[in-house]
Amino acid sequence: MEEIIPSLKGMLKDATIIKSDATRFEITITILNEIKGNVADPDEILVMLKMFGGLKEDVPMEIDINNETQIIELKFQNEEDFKKIQKIMETIWDDAVDMLEQASQGDFSRIKNVPNIDD
Amino acid sequence: MTDPNAIKNNPFKDLGEIPEKKYHDGYTLNSTYITVRDGVKIAATICLPKGLSPDEKIPTLLTQTRYWRAMELRIPFRWLFDSMITNAPNPEIVTSRGYALIYTDVRGTGASFGTRIIPFSEEEVKDGSDIVDWIITQPWSDGNVVSKGISYLATTAELFSGNNHRAIKAVMPGHGYWDPYTDVAFPGGCYDHAFMQMWSFLGKNLDLNSPKVFSQIMPEVWLFVKGVKPVSSDTDLKLLQDAINRHESNKYVYEHTLKRDFRDDKLPDGTVFDDISIFAQKEKIECSKVPILAWCSWYDSGYGDAIINRFMNLSNPMIAILGDWTHGAGLPANQFYPERTVVTPKPRDRINTWINFFDKCVYGDGIQGKMLYYYTLVEEEWKKTNVWPPLGHNYQKWYFSENYSLTREEPAIDVGADNYKINFRATTGRNNRWWALLGLPITYYDRNKVDEKLLCYTSQPFGSDTEITGQIILCLYMASTHEDGAVFAYFEDVDESGNVIYITDGEFRLIHRKILSTEPPYKMLTPYHSYKKVDSLPLIPGEITEVKFGLHATSVLIKKGHRIKIAIAGADKDTFIRYPTEGRPTITISRCKEFSSYIKIPIIKKE
Repeated sequence: MEEIIPSLKGMLKDATIIKSDATRFEITITILNEIKGNVADPDEILVMLKMFGGLKEDVPMEIDINNETQIIELKFQNEEDFKKIQKIMETIWDDAVDMLEQASQGDFSRIKNVPNIDD
Repeated sequence: MTDPNAIKNNPFKDLGEIPEKKYHDGYTLNSTYITVRDGVKIAATICLPKGLSPDEKIPTLLTQTRYWRAMELRIPFRWLFDSMITNAPNPEIVTSRGYALIYTDVRGTGASFGTRIIPFSEEEVKDGSDIVDWIITQPWSDGNVVSKGISYLATTAELFSGNNHRAIKAVMPGHGYWDPYTDVAFPGGCYDHAFMQMWSFLGKNLDLNSPKVFSQIMPEVWLFVKGVKPVSSDTDLKLLQDAINRHESNKYVYEHTLKRDFRDDKLPDGTVFDDISIFAQKEKIECSKVPILAWCSWYDSGYGDAIINRFMNLSNPMIAILGDWTHGAGLPANQFYPERTVVTPKPRDRINTWINFFDKCVYGDGIQGKMLYYYTLVEEEWKKTNVWPPLGHNYQKWYFSENYSLTREEPAIDVGADNYKINFRATTGRNNRWWALLGLPITYYDRNKVDEKLLCYTSQPFGSDTEITGQIILCLYMASTHEDGAVFAYFEDVDESGNVIYITDGEFRLIHRKILSTEPPYKMLTPYHSYKKVDSLPLIPGEITEVKFGLHATSVLIKKGHRIKIAIAGADKDTFIRYPTEGRPTITISRCKEFSSYIKIPIIKKE
């Protein structure tokens, strides 16, 4: 796994497009790679935000996943929630890979801050 | 520093140059359930070279694991990779060399159905034969199957050969046991509590598809992995859930061995450790005449000894390799060169070399006879031998003497002994040869400091370079204040500046000290202890008794000017259970004319 970590940030950025619509409080993630099976389940999106984005609390959002178009839409009720997640999404791929890299080198400090995730 | 690849006798060179790829990069990946004789469904993932034409036939490389054949990744990583395969060789390489690669979850694990009561059960081994029956009926199969694996998968590969299926052409166990009682669970009769507990904990969580186990022992995997990979057709995951529900009935060895002591203590299904050993299947494996390439490291648990036992006891054509890396060769482990960071050859080259061996067995004349390649530490050279012990092998006795010295002269005095009150805080830490089975690095740091807690005997500087290869025998004439106890002995190199470097060690529970004159279950070069209840002998407090056992095999060059040291402990608290469970014994080691304690070191005389 250590061999692939350095290239993961670039691969994630190449494989996805993240767009935000501040007027509609919406964030869309488009996955460009062809995915076999489901793109994601809504629960997985929440786990991703908590695990890699550091989200501590439950933020109300509607999660629409279209497995045909491979587009995930996150819809929020207010600007505050939208901005919170928008900020996380700005750096989430970098944060995820950094966590992975640190953990693979034996540094578990960031993992300790991950909220309880019931797999 | 010498490039280990460039020096003579390197097994990775002797297995031949890596040929041109038969197929371009890329492979197709599919998964399915294979139904075996009793209806149990085994999850299998199949990789085939991309562009394989319908009339082409190819051999198959099979690996069978209990650690999830493939992992379903978390998002966002699943958007990059279909799955992660951690327990099978790189499919890109294997398929490009013209092999199909199939990896399965053994029954009761991963996405497979069934339950498991013990590891390597008779049913689990038979499944291998049924899987081969399925493989050879596939349109792409040429009817030849080989198998390889590391650790658990090594044992599945080796036992697989005992199925005596005509399609099985070669097996390659890497870092696998020979005798599970002494090589892993009870080395020297001492319970490897740390590994057995962690291994069972890991197994239980894997079988219940709980990735949370990784957050505690391999956090980087927890970040990456969601669970076991379901088979392709199981889109609603109902089959996976059904399979996992059946794993609820699994049993785990820790629960059934913690309170046990003896080789003949029963496992949950009424079998004993020997029943899941390799040596118990010797006749079947030999009958198959399947060529074996077995590889391991001097530093890995008792599995280095397993290589030697396998080499001495099995008649199959064999290449055996003993190097200086960690369990599975993920990291270097040579304690004389802690600055090294990579194992040579790298995994990609190693897999290609392994396929060279399979090519010889599938397409060529196979291999003839037996050859053992071993790496000599400090000398940093590969040697090869077709007999064990190697030619020139000769034992040299070093006696425990006054002032904590080791000398070649037998004691002439009538009285001489050293007392040692057992320090139960003594430890080799969590990066020793036993924890290494969990994939951890091997580092025996600060031996000078650790030895301060131990009873140590050191020689004078050696007058010439001396190769020690084989198993050191320790013979103690000792008394104790208690009926039970253990001895942990560390064999070390001391350089001109006084730096102490770990070479090898041995451990032994004193109640097992009876040496039997009957024939052991397999040929061995160390004193034969049965570890059975009937042969156990509690110590009589105050009475001097002989305790004689072998340390784990090694090969090392003691340089001119260096000294050898033997350090005696009574505990290794982070790994082994405490003997006795209560109290703090004082042991007395005799070093007089009548009771002359010694170590016997296997010297290789140069021609």
